[in-house]
Amino acid sequence: MMRFLGLAGAVAAAAVLPEFLPPFYVRVVQFFFFSAALALAWNIMGGFAGYWSFGHTVFIGMGGFAAAHLVTALGLSAGPVQMVTGIVFGALFCGAFAAIIAYPILRLRGIYFAIAMLGISQVVAELANNVSWVKGDVGLFIETKLPGDIAPERFYYYVFGGLLLVTALASFLILRSRFGYGLLAIREDEDTAKMLGVPTEKLKILGFVASAALVGMLGATYAYSLGYFTTGSLFRVDFSLNMIIYCLIGGIGTIAGPILGAAVMLFLTQVVLGGVLELHLLVTGAVVVVIVLSMPDGIMGLLGSLTTRKPATPPAPASPEVAR
Amino acid sequence: MLVLQTALNGLVLGGVYSLAAVGFSLIFGALGIVNLTHGIFVICGAYASMMLFHGLSVDPFFATIPVAFVFFFVGYVYQRYLIQLAVSRASLVASLLVTFGVALIARNLLQLGFSPDVRTITPSYSFSSLVIGGLRVDMVRLIGVGVSLVLLSLMALLLAKTAFGRRIRATAQQPLAANLSGVNVPHVFGQTFGLGAAFAAAAGAVLGIVQPFSPSAEEFWTLNAFIVVVLGGVGSPSGALLGGILLGLISSFTAQYVGPSFTNAVMFLVLVVMLLVRPHGLLGSAFGESR
Repeated sequence: MMRFLGLAGAVAAAAVLPEFLPPFYVRVVQFFFFSAALALAWNIMGGFAGYWSFGHTVFIGMGGFAAAHLVTALGLSAGPVQMVTGIVFGALFCGAFAAIIAYPILRLRGIYFAIAMLGISQVVAELANNVSWVKGDVGLFIETKLPGDIAPERFYYYVFGGLLLVTALASFLILRSRFGYGLLAIREDEDTAKMLGVPTEKLKILGFVASAALVGMLGATYAYSLGYFTTGSLFRVDFSLNMIIYCLIGGIGTIAGPILGAAVMLFLTQVVLGGVLELHLLVTGAVVVVIVLSMPDGIMGLLGSLTTRKPATPPAPASPEVAR
Repeated sequence: MLVLQTALNGLVLGGVYSLAAVGFSLIFGALGIVNLTHGIFVICGAYASMMLFHGLSVDPFFATIPVAFVFFFVGYVYQRYLIQLAVSRASLVASLLVTFGVALIARNLLQLGFSPDVRTITPSYSFSSLVIGGLRVDMVRLIGVGVSLVLLSLMALLLAKTAFGRRIRATAQQPLAANLSGVNVPHVFGQTFGLGAAFAAAAGAVLGIVQPFSPSAEEFWTLNAFIVVVLGGVGSPSGALLGGILLGLISSFTAQYVGPSFTNAVMFLVLVVMLLVRPHGLLGSAFGESR
């Protein structure tokens, strides 16, 4: 109940926040919503199931391109129907693509899975760039018509805020279901889980598809918010890496973690260091190294260990028997 | 004729790719660490060789020796005092992120120090080429392949014949048993990493004359090394050679017959297919139980 009230308070605060922020910061927060939602979607596979993908940006790109091509092919005029159609199709398209590649690719584990995903994202990006009808090299327009006279940054602020909520809710429901427990079991020990009767193949495929569909949805929305995009603006390797970094910094496999991680990193890179662009890589790299070495379980892990420190170190017992 | 020329180009390119990948392969095979700083070592080698060439007019061919020597110590210190810390405090996967973070830092520093511009090293022989029976090979590439074959053989001998190589292989197979037999395991881990770094930097010193380079090219060389290792197999110089040559052939044939813009797509496609069909590479793991 307290959690629910806290969440409702946060949502209400976020809803009125644009009234008090200059447009630049509305944009920063909007990008934070987008990044945090991406990290959460990655977290379903990477955090819950322990399958780290290095190429999730492929779903951002496919979602965007699928949406733009569909609404152009259907000849829809800009408006709410056209936008929702595009976003839903982006999600479905990515989900379907993920379902097709899932069976072979999920046989790989660990670093091999990670690199195979990187490979897939590179192949798709190169194809989008070089196959002429996809038009990834010259770029695509996707028309948007905003309701009323709302400023674009505020409109997308609310859209991405809503999508972050959707992604967080989906993650929460997954984590609290048999599905989520199955994914966690896969992360801890896939072979044992399989032996104990967890349908690992099915769960992995479902998790992968869910993660991909969510990223596709976000990617399509991102394409709308850009209006004009090329391969380079959607298939960005740094998107893939940032999803991992945000999860890692916040606490991988949790729900608050990826959101917290995105908030911390974006605050550091966009607000504090917004003026010194040439040091971005250095700071990102240094933060990653320091976080991995100092708090391997991220901010959430640190918070957890702070709250449970006392019972973890009880006064030394007189003898082992007494301790038990 | 075109087929032969393309095949020759591929072979020559592949020879160079092999050398650039063998250090990555050794570290991955023996320590299980995916070293994302690998490309940085290669690029640093290229910059070091450039500075030696412009400052002291040392031929890049000879620059490999001091560069390898310096980077052996860099790699040793890096492994023992940073990567090992990540492995012991967190996990092997965490070490991947540490190497990634260090790569970002180093790339940024290189950009600040040398500017993001693309550089080349142009010794006197850089525009001459050799013509044999109608087939043309650039002199620099030929030298690159020569150095590559010499260094790869050197590493193979080192691993197979010397006491040092035996310690590396033993540690890779069974750290515990090696430790029981009196091998100083953390020290050997550091040395192995240093050896990998030394080979990467030496490769970079030669690559500087074959291909233009810039700080952001590090990504290319890291990925390239990974593909070579996946194609050929982890941990052995012969696997790196086979993988490198295959990769060279794939990219030159794709560029010739499909289109230059498709080389990356085909390379990664082969990578993905290879991972699915035979994840341990064509030659498998030379260290047997290490995987």
